[in-house]
Amino acid sequence: MSQLIAFLVRSRAVLIFLGLQAICFWLIIGNNDYQRTAFINGAAGFIGSVSNTSRNVQDYFELKRVNEELAQENAQLRLMLQQEESIVTDSIDSYLYEADSLDSVQYYFVPAEVVQNNFRLANNFFMINKGAKDSIQPGMGVISGLGIVGKIRSVTDDFAQGISVLNTKNPISIKHEPSGRVGTLLWNGLDQRFAEVLYMTPDVSIVAGDSIMTSSYNAIYPKDILAGTVTEVEMDDNRTYLNITIQLSVDFARLSRVYVVKNQAKVQIDSLVENNPLQQP
Amino acid sequence: MNRSYSSIIISFIFIVPLQVLIFRNFVLYGTGFNFFYLFCLLLLPVELSAITGMLIAFFTGLLIDLFYHTLGIHAAASVLFMFLRYYWLRFNGPRSGYEVNHFPTIPNYGFGWYITYALPLIFIHSTAVFLLEAGNLSIAGQSLLRGLITALISFIFIVLTQYFFFKKAR
Repeated sequence: MSQLIAFLVRSRAVLIFLGLQAICFWLIIGNNDYQRTAFINGAAGFIGSVSNTSRNVQDYFELKRVNEELAQENAQLRLMLQQEESIVTDSIDSYLYEADSLDSVQYYFVPAEVVQNNFRLANNFFMINKGAKDSIQPGMGVISGLGIVGKIRSVTDDFAQGISVLNTKNPISIKHEPSGRVGTLLWNGLDQRFAEVLYMTPDVSIVAGDSIMTSSYNAIYPKDILAGTVTEVEMDDNRTYLNITIQLSVDFARLSRVYVVKNQAKVQIDSLVENNPLQQP
Repeated sequence: MNRSYSSIIISFIFIVPLQVLIFRNFVLYGTGFNFFYLFCLLLLPVELSAITGMLIAFFTGLLIDLFYHTLGIHAAASVLFMFLRYYWLRFNGPRSGYEVNHFPTIPNYGFGWYITYALPLIFIHSTAVFLLEAGNLSIAGQSLLRGLITALISFIFIVLTQYFFFKKAR
């Protein structure tokens, strides 16, 4: 017994080393679980405000580019407005109006600024400067003027943290244009500019240059938001699926202005899915 | 002894915010991070016990983790770093032995000794960070490359800082 105690005392450095490593691994594993981010949430307020200060300085260097992007987006929106304007041929048409403007719009967009953004790790997250005070909730989609960015994971009063598209654990339902085939977009953890499309069968003809859009099979993003364009298509070894590489439309290295998507119909969609006994896992 | 403790505390107060606010934002070609905060850990006295060192490394790593959004990863790598440092310092002493109250820095023990002291430890730390971060071995090649480049960049910054700001102890 005394020998055992002597051994423990002699190797106490190794034991404490192993103990600390165990705590670290517990933290790492707990952190990867979406439900156990309470600790990070607690610190997010303080860290968010520090990052915000650091971000404010960075903003001045990006003003020119951001202005150009916004001007381009405005030009696109003006074009769309012109297209909407149709000639009224029947006087009855001109008296049609929506009973309640709230009912007529499915998606609302909350503009936000990215205050913290990772894109060089294998599982990346970002933080925006809008939170529960702006009625942001976990599960909402995030897009930018160029395409999809990710979805909200956790929310504090003033900040929200999101899972980026550049996360190997964040699959997104997408469709191929023009065929309309639905597949899954998943990042492979290597290059921030490229991602992979899974589960496309070889009978679909896909060529480089085709667009990959969000599908209507989700309650997070509006449909037809651009995800990227196909750069490379090849058959996989089993000849079951195609290996498709796409270039993401959003440049995550320069992400600054984003919009959070509020889906007015999400509650209804979710309740239908939950009440359907066939879809229950 | 008092003076050495106060200078260690000052180094932590300067270097950790520097890492979090500035060096966190600069990444070279997507592979070269800069883990300059390791300088704090390299600077700790030679006589420091392994246990105290590992506790300091654990809390420093945890602080860095909060800002990198990688809770536990830097802490784990820093504890490993500190554990190995304790034995590496004893195995790889300078020819004339360590002086009491001398920091393990270049002006005190020379560049040749410092490169064998610091570079392997920094390389192990950064490789551990990227391997843990990836979570599996499917992109181990990329993790090793990132670890190597990151180690070189961090080492260059740590060496330059010493030539600019450190004098030989009397």
